[in-house]
Amino acid sequence: MLFQIQISRMKTSNVIWVGNYSTVVKRDPVLHWSWKSELPLECATHFVRMRSRVDDAKIPEPRFWSNWSSWKEADAQKSLGRDPLFLFPKDKLVEEGSNVTICYISRNQQDNISCYLEGQQIHGEQLDSNVSAFKLNKVSFIRKTGTNIFCKVDQKDVIKGIVLFVSKVLEEPKDFSCETQDFKTLMCTWDPGTDTSLPKRSSQSYTLFESFSGKKILCEHKNSCNWQVDSDSQEMYNFTLMAENALGNRSVSVLFSLTHRVHPKTPYNLFLKNVSGTKATVTWKVHPIGNYSTLLCQLDLLGEGNVIQQHNVSIKENGEYLLSELEPDTEYMARVRCADANHFWKWSGSISQKFVTAEAAPSEALDVWRNVKSVSGHPTVTLFWKPLSKLHANGKILSYNVIVENLDRPSRLEVHSVPATANGTELTLDQYSYQIHVTALNSAGPSPASVIVVSGDPGNEEAEEERINGTEDGFSVSWKPQSRKAIGYVVEWCDHPQDLPCDLQWKNLSSNTTSTVISSGAFRPGVRYNFRIYEISTERMANLLEKKAGYLKELAPSDNPQVVVSNLTSHSFTLSWKDYSTDSQPGFIQGYYVYLRSKAEKECHPGFKKATLSDKSACCQHRIDNPEQKTFVMENLQPESVYEFLVTPYTSAGSGPVDTFTKVTTPDEYSHILIRIILPMIICVLLIMITCYLKSQWMKEKCYPDIPDPYKSNVLSLIKSKENPHLTIMNVSDCVPDAIEVIHKPEGSKIQFLGASKSLTETEFTKPAYLYLLPAEKNYSGPGPCICFENLTYNEAAADSGSCGHFPVTPQAPPSQPGPLTSPENLLKALEKNYMNSLGEIAAGEASVNYVSQLASQMSGDKDGLPTNPPEPVHCSEYKMQMAIPLGLASPPPAENSGLSSTTPLDQSEHYR
Amino acid sequence: MRPQLVQRTLLSLVLGLLFLSTAATGKCSGKYHELLQQLQNQADLMQDTSTLLDPYIHLQGLDQAGLKEHCKESPGAFPSEDALRGLSQRGFLRTLNATLGHVLHRLTALQQDLTVAREQGRNIRGFRSNIHCMSQLLRGSSEMETAEPTQPGPGATLPPTPVSDTFQHKLQGCRFLHGYHRFMHSARQVFKEWGDSRCRSRSRRHRPPRALQRGARRMRPFRRDERLMPRGQLPR
Repeated sequence: MLFQIQISRMKTSNVIWVGNYSTVVKRDPVLHWSWKSELPLECATHFVRMRSRVDDAKIPEPRFWSNWSSWKEADAQKSLGRDPLFLFPKDKLVEEGSNVTICYISRNQQDNISCYLEGQQIHGEQLDSNVSAFKLNKVSFIRKTGTNIFCKVDQKDVIKGIVLFVSKVLEEPKDFSCETQDFKTLMCTWDPGTDTSLPKRSSQSYTLFESFSGKKILCEHKNSCNWQVDSDSQEMYNFTLMAENALGNRSVSVLFSLTHRVHPKTPYNLFLKNVSGTKATVTWKVHPIGNYSTLLCQLDLLGEGNVIQQHNVSIKENGEYLLSELEPDTEYMARVRCADANHFWKWSGSISQKFVTAEAAPSEALDVWRNVKSVSGHPTVTLFWKPLSKLHANGKILSYNVIVENLDRPSRLEVHSVPATANGTELTLDQYSYQIHVTALNSAGPSPASVIVVSGDPGNEEAEEERINGTEDGFSVSWKPQSRKAIGYVVEWCDHPQDLPCDLQWKNLSSNTTSTVISSGAFRPGVRYNFRIYEISTERMANLLEKKAGYLKELAPSDNPQVVVSNLTSHSFTLSWKDYSTDSQPGFIQGYYVYLRSKAEKECHPGFKKATLSDKSACCQHRIDNPEQKTFVMENLQPESVYEFLVTPYTSAGSGPVDTFTKVTTPDEYSHILIRIILPMIICVLLIMITCYLKSQWMKEKCYPDIPDPYKSNVLSLIKSKENPHLTIMNVSDCVPDAIEVIHKPEGSKIQFLGASKSLTETEFTKPAYLYLLPAEKNYSGPGPCICFENLTYNEAAADSGSCGHFPVTPQAPPSQPGPLTSPENLLKALEKNYMNSLGEIAAGEASVNYVSQLASQMSGDKDGLPTNPPEPVHCSEYKMQMAIPLGLASPPPAENSGLSSTTPLDQSEHYR
Repeated sequence: MRPQLVQRTLLSLVLGLLFLSTAATGKCSGKYHELLQQLQNQADLMQDTSTLLDPYIHLQGLDQAGLKEHCKESPGAFPSEDALRGLSQRGFLRTLNATLGHVLHRLTALQQDLTVAREQGRNIRGFRSNIHCMSQLLRGSSEMETAEPTQPGPGATLPPTPVSDTFQHKLQGCRFLHGYHRFMHSARQVFKEWGDSRCRSRSRRHRPPRALQRGARRMRPFRRDERLMPRGQLPR
């Protein structure tokens, strides 16, 4: 029968859906048909009617529809309570992205109702006065507890709401497979994908169906299911996994043979036994799979995480394998996993066990090198060796043995034990040659010996140094073999040449090698590395072959030398930096730049060229190409000028910093001359003054005695030279004076005197003063001998000329007498003449003794001073260089009115004697 | 959201340890003031809305304008503070015990949605254990018999029957939890008044109650200076 169904909403005329339903009608049937309304049925009255006709091909056409049934009303509102507000549908589960229609029913038309979806107000369509509908398009998942939609009656505390549960249709399970570990149980697993379950509302279920057996089980887990295998009855399996939730279902199938899905259980009881240094036996067990199954087990040997060996072993239950070619004292791990040997499906889980092989004696000799130096006259050998690698040590090194054998004097061997922590030792030897054996010891025994021969006499260790260039790979060192007996070469260097110790390194090379590349992670640019190439002789003695020096990369000098300024003159000075070491610089010093600048000079001196500094200032630059020239003379400079200079070295990478100039000021041009002359003069004067001071008494006596000593008078010598027997020195005791004539020479007498004698200078004639000592006043006019006391101190010129200058003072002296008495002869003549004249003028009977002498000055040192007071008698002893002359030779006493002298009678007691 | 969750977790942890110490030892403190102080502290923590109500509101999506105001305690669901004050001490303890028994029952239903409900259930059990101990102390100081703490007291009101309407169920759960925290706040106040009145009484008489002089049969150590902060407060 075919049924046509009409559904109307609100009123019968409002048909909203027409559909057909075909089914086989049996006797007394009760047919069921359902229809889902988009609008909740509670919100509107629905009507349904139907008609039918035969729908059977056996019945020929025409087939007529029956009449429509009466309308049947479906009014859910009648069953609602008396609440003022209803909201539908309640707790509906929908698929994410679908459209949902909700509606509310209000009992009171006057109520103003507002509705909200997750707090956001929504607006709908009013179906009638009490009913409104809201269509929600493409609803999205918000939370597992559902999307809240509620409506409120304004001004009233009425709220009604619904919860819309949004979910997804289940994903198709992925990676669905089944396997067995024991032929008793099949475990099927899959990836369920996104979880779509909603608490209390929508859960997802998984069902496993096997088509051959027709069995179906509900899986307890969402990603796995266990299936019990019927014993020996079924080989093939066809499983269908059905995933289902409230929104739909998915299914996936798999067909397999049970024997091809064997996944063995993880092996157990893995042990290592008979572990030696190089071998070990591994045993393990597996869970049996059936009666005839064989398992293929994979045995891996791992060292430091890497698979070193891999072996496959077929076993039933117990596995055993002998591992060989192991390294002593090494930790390994044995790992076993198994799979079905006939139909590989999957490896079982792995079981592993670590073990350590036993120790063995070190397999390789130590790499030994030496450094010979002389300490306090004794050759001291420092031995270095490189620790054995783990591969060659074969265990923990306990100590090192150093055996020293004297090759020149067979004697007892010296054995030194060095702790394992050391990588060298120091030996003090003598001048003999020694063979040194070094071995490393572990618990299993010693290593092969490393032999080195050291001579106490280091010999000629010098070789010319050659420069080499470093590259990114290191230093390429080559050498020329010296002898054909070399058994090898050693290149030696320091990784840190600027440190102490310098971390000595060496590299052994075979005898047929003449070059190598020395590389080290410690090499740094700007550090000078020195390489020494030694030739190892057949006697195992090392002889220095060549020396190389180089930089990985030369750098510009970072410091300038300390420059000393010397020989500073007004036109030059010398710069020297002899303390500057060229070996410890960041590059090979190729020379120096000497910078000079001066404000006074704009042009550069010869040999200099103009240069511009980094601060744009100009200066003069001179280049010294010889790195060993560490002095420079700045010449052609201006006196009293300020010069600034700087000396900076340069390498192939550049020059040193040009920053701080040193100022030098050239001195005055004549200052050095003045210093050369004045200084000695001052010294001489000072010496003279000191001498004079120390010898003042002697000088005084020699040059200006206070009382002239007649015996020391030069005149005496002159007289004696003439051999005049009449001239004798009169002793004072012989003189009996009774009167003293004091001759005062007034100032005005000078002119008069000059007129008498013009040969003497005025000064010379103003000095003399004479004191005439007369025996008695009455004898004054009579003739008699006169004694003249001469003081040559006051007239050096006269004294030198041998004259006693007071002779011409007599006014009566004839003007015919020639002037200056410049010679002793003249003086002697004058004396003779004057004396003779005097004798002629004075009567013989009237001859008397006249004491003519100098009047001692009242003021010491003021010999020119004229006494204003009558002269007081001074002590007789102050007279020196006196001489007695015949009375006739004495000058006549001056007249009382004479202006040249004055005579003052003295008492007897006041006379000088 | 994350700091709040961490805060809640820490709070729950501390509270759990606090209650677990009670439950684990299984011994009642014979010191009235220590026990009272502990009850006060526990009530103080249980009134905190961040332990249950706030997570529930967030989980159910009720933290929206227009819904919060409907998350209020249903009248009569829990005894009012005045009603609690009007009870005798033992009556109060009985009511408290019975009401918390119902709360435990409701929390069990909430555990599927609200994981913290399980932790709070443990806390309530510990609190009820202390109520039991306090009842024992009070019973020793009076001649009256008290009901077992697991039995509902006469003052306890049955919680509303769950409805099939999920939305209404959400609101009822929210109202229930609101009422629970309010109820614990009231209980805290009552316990505080117990302490105040006991202090006044001691200051007047200078001696503890008779039963307290005899001491309890079992002693349970507790740190009286323990103070757990901070906590949320119910909207007043």
